[in-house]
Amino acid sequence: MLPVDDFIIIGAGISGILMAKHLSSSGATISLLEAGSYFNRHTYPRKEIDANSQLYWGGGIELNQTANIGFLRPKVVGGGSIVNQALLDRFDHEALSSWKQESNISFFTEEQMKPWYEKAESSVNIQEIPAQYRNANANVFINGFEKLGFKCSPLKRAQSQCQYEKGNDCIECLAGCRLDSKQSTAITALPQALKNGVKLMSQFEVTHFERSGDIYLVHGKSQSGEYKRLRAKKLILASGAIGNSKLLLNSKYANTNKKIGTRFYTHPQFMSLGLYDQEIAAHKGPFQAMKSDEPHFRVNRFKLENVFAPPVGLSMLLPGLGIKHMRAMKKLRHYACVEVAIRDQIPGQIKTTTNGKVQIAKSVSGEDKISYKKGEKVIHEIFKSTGAKEIIDGELSIGLHLMGGLCIGDNASKDIVSPDFSLHDDKNIFCADSSIFPNAPGINPSLTIMALSLMASQSILKQSGHS
Amino acid sequence: MKPGLLIHTCSRFFSARQIKGALRLGDAVIPGDKTLPSFSETEFIHHIDRMLEYMESDDRDGLGLLMNVFSITPIWKIRLLVSLCDIHRFLPQFLGTPFRLLNLGLKGIIFTLYYSGLEDKEGHGARILKTIGWDAHTPSYQPLDKAMSENRQISAADIGKKAKDVSQEIRALSVAQRLKFVSQLKHLIVSEKEIIIERIQEDTNKSRSDALVSEIFGVLDHLAFLESEAIKALKDEKVKTPIALLGKSSKIYYEALGTILIISPWNYPFYQAIVPIMAAFVAGNSVIYKPSEFTPLTGLVEDLMSRIGMKDGWVQVVYGDGKVGSSLIDQVPNKIFFTGSVATVKKIMTQAANNLIPVELELGGKDPSIVFADANLDRAASGVVWGALTNCGQSCTSVERIYVQDTCYEEFKNKTLNIVKQIKQSRDYDGDADIGGMTTKAQIAIVKNHLDDALAKGAKLLSGDEWDGQDAMIPPLLFDNVTDDMLVAHEETFGPTIVLLKFSDEHEVISRANDSIYGLSASVWSADKARCDRVARALEVGNVSINNVMLTEGNHHLPFGGVKQSGIGRYKGVHGLRSFCNIKSVLIDANSKKIEANWFPYTKKKYQLFSAMTEALFTGGILNFIKFAIKGTLLESAAQKSRNQSK
Repeated sequence: MLPVDDFIIIGAGISGILMAKHLSSSGATISLLEAGSYFNRHTYPRKEIDANSQLYWGGGIELNQTANIGFLRPKVVGGGSIVNQALLDRFDHEALSSWKQESNISFFTEEQMKPWYEKAESSVNIQEIPAQYRNANANVFINGFEKLGFKCSPLKRAQSQCQYEKGNDCIECLAGCRLDSKQSTAITALPQALKNGVKLMSQFEVTHFERSGDIYLVHGKSQSGEYKRLRAKKLILASGAIGNSKLLLNSKYANTNKKIGTRFYTHPQFMSLGLYDQEIAAHKGPFQAMKSDEPHFRVNRFKLENVFAPPVGLSMLLPGLGIKHMRAMKKLRHYACVEVAIRDQIPGQIKTTTNGKVQIAKSVSGEDKISYKKGEKVIHEIFKSTGAKEIIDGELSIGLHLMGGLCIGDNASKDIVSPDFSLHDDKNIFCADSSIFPNAPGINPSLTIMALSLMASQSILKQSGHS
Repeated sequence: MKPGLLIHTCSRFFSARQIKGALRLGDAVIPGDKTLPSFSETEFIHHIDRMLEYMESDDRDGLGLLMNVFSITPIWKIRLLVSLCDIHRFLPQFLGTPFRLLNLGLKGIIFTLYYSGLEDKEGHGARILKTIGWDAHTPSYQPLDKAMSENRQISAADIGKKAKDVSQEIRALSVAQRLKFVSQLKHLIVSEKEIIIERIQEDTNKSRSDALVSEIFGVLDHLAFLESEAIKALKDEKVKTPIALLGKSSKIYYEALGTILIISPWNYPFYQAIVPIMAAFVAGNSVIYKPSEFTPLTGLVEDLMSRIGMKDGWVQVVYGDGKVGSSLIDQVPNKIFFTGSVATVKKIMTQAANNLIPVELELGGKDPSIVFADANLDRAASGVVWGALTNCGQSCTSVERIYVQDTCYEEFKNKTLNIVKQIKQSRDYDGDADIGGMTTKAQIAIVKNHLDDALAKGAKLLSGDEWDGQDAMIPPLLFDNVTDDMLVAHEETFGPTIVLLKFSDEHEVISRANDSIYGLSASVWSADKARCDRVARALEVGNVSINNVMLTEGNHHLPFGGVKQSGIGRYKGVHGLRSFCNIKSVLIDANSKKIEANWFPYTKKKYQLFSAMTEALFTGGILNFIKFAIKGTLLESAAQKSRNQSK
């Protein structure tokens, strides 16, 4: 007979690892399953070709049905906290009140979220980039904002020892931080979870699960193609919006609830490049330092950040091909780059095909397109006011913040996850990652995923009589 | 790069045609300019599996279809198609979708390969990144040992464990089932031989014909040998059971040992990979294979193994230097099969001694060729020149000493020189060259050292004096006036040297030929069959070719190996196959009540009977046989009684 764990956690990203750590501290037995690999700072893939292939689903990128939005969905132990820029922001009143309205959940207030945000923040180091280390790309951003009379502010980043004075270029840490400075859950929470006895199975992709009596049977396959079953009393879904929706749909939970996979948001992002005579070298030093902090941007549902992309990423942003494209690539050091991310209002939907593959319907249209165009206009103004001689708008929209699909709320006919983080349909399955977001907050989701996961862990322990 | 030089099997997923299509697409997307190479000028296509492996299989299939089309589409048309894809921006969403997909997919593949800073022989990856101005780095990062990070998450311990874990799977297959993999591999090598040859040439500098004859043909020949002989060689064998053990039967089982660690040299990187790997596998073992760091043929062996359906872990290839080899020995394989130099093997044996790991060793030699005056001198001269120069002299069985009888020495020398003058040397691409060049810098230095030593001690160089002492293309070096104290006459040179030595009689030449720390192989040339046989028996070597050269290796039914410092054990032939086996003896008796005569109790009466029976059995004659039968029967019945009953 297979052993029965107290919990199986599916997905070892930000939420899965944090919940594994907290639930295991009560002595619960836990298997933590992750389709991606478990790298460390010495083993993260260093070439873009390998980073794309080995750290993301779909060999690097997944596309929506109309192939105009690319989703970057991490597939690695540590999840988004390995490949993100470690930006941690609390949600503002606007985001939380819209959540409260959407979900009818009372704890979505700044006041009630505060202790959880504090707890999440205390588990990591949070820093801003000191002004003297900002690179020229950040300065273009700041100058543009000043000239246009807009407000911007430094990003808060979860990092501990980037040692800018030694000349480290943070863009390399997009494929996993070699300095263990980035505060990914793989270094801030996983070691304690493993010490508590959590069994981590990486390179194990869960295909579906089923219920047999009081027990859940979780089916999956290892990278070598070997099928395995695991058993547990309770399940925690922590594979993000797409992963969780896919799992529930493929486990035939959609039979009972047609709402799975709906209300999918991605904060679609568009990068624009400004070409300057002088060298910018946007890839040097801390490459992402600033964000817009302008109330009317918030009202218009967009925000701007200074960013950049490594060569393959850049090559995909630049239009054309042949000699023209090669010439454009050789200007790499002369581009400044700003992105607009929109707080999308028109949700997409995650579906699966009959053979279990994910299909995503999502577009940027209507009011979302208006927000995007407004943001793009500001970017153009920034570039023009700072002397760019040419402006290139990126080819593809990127979805990095994959949210919704299992939205939380008190209405069992509309929402999937109930206010105590269990599913409305099944009180022994829990979820607290970005898939429960009831709408797009327009703010980086990481810190809130952490806060919700901590909240859920406590609620689950209380229910199970552990604590 | 010359066209046609690319390794078209660089992919497990794409055929040579599809790779050709991808190269054309690459040149349409990146045609190259003054400072950046075109896509096909780089060798990045070799890395395409780093992407394909992680793609969904139907995406990969779709892409494969397109590549097939592109393989016969002119580049300008491909460029037109890819540019046309840009019209997606003017089309409504649903109409633009296929163009966007194509645009993203096609450009994505080429850009990813081109701008990822991948390695190729010319160092294009790093140069391209430098040209576009990309110089991101993390100076604070302290890397681990290079070898460890290259093998990424896999440690030697994981490899050893994996090999042990899967060895039961292989053992559970019948020999016939294992041979199915051999047959598939044989077909695969036949169909991909030109590509494999190019791959070998890249790592070794061999001439194309050298690679074909000694590596491809040799491997196929061995696989054919396994197909025809392995079942017979490995099936349970019934052996005689002597009359003293009447009623019992005896068998030998040829079972797998478990895991074989194969450490191979750089001179025949393909042959020395496939032959021992497949022999060890057919005998039922899992294999850990470490190629020489000089000629790793990176990816080739894994590629072939996976394409014939070998399961994960059955044959693991581990790259690296001696340190990596040492970490693998630490995993205590059941046997080490090593081909290489004496210096290296001393370290390996020392380490293996800690765990008493058995070793099978194929080492170097200083192989003599003995030419008697009654031999057909034209044939002998052609033979020894080939034996000395094939693979540019980089064979363990190269002819390194040529003893020529004094009465025909001058004639033979002139014939040899004539042949040498016509040798064509090139790392060619059409098979029209006799020899290629040297593979490693270290070996070039040894050849230079031996040459200098010989010249200093008075040898005459009859050919090759144009060599600058550094170029890998060492021309044939024909030495005259050689004395036994010169390095070329007694140390392994491993280069294209033809060393002529004079002798006067049979007795003398045998003693000089045997005066060596090595004893690998030899050749004898004479019209006198009896003399040839006499000399062959007198030589202290593992292999002798009579009126031919290096030909014992040509017959895979013959075992191969050396004596003295040329090796331990035998490989190839039935002996070689069984060297990867646990030769298990089994004696089968009935589950009867009978107590055996040689078990306790030992009594005075039994002693007398046993003694009489022993005398009868080993004296011979019919009367004694009857006596043996009587005493034996009495002894049997006495054996059924306990000590108390016997009293």
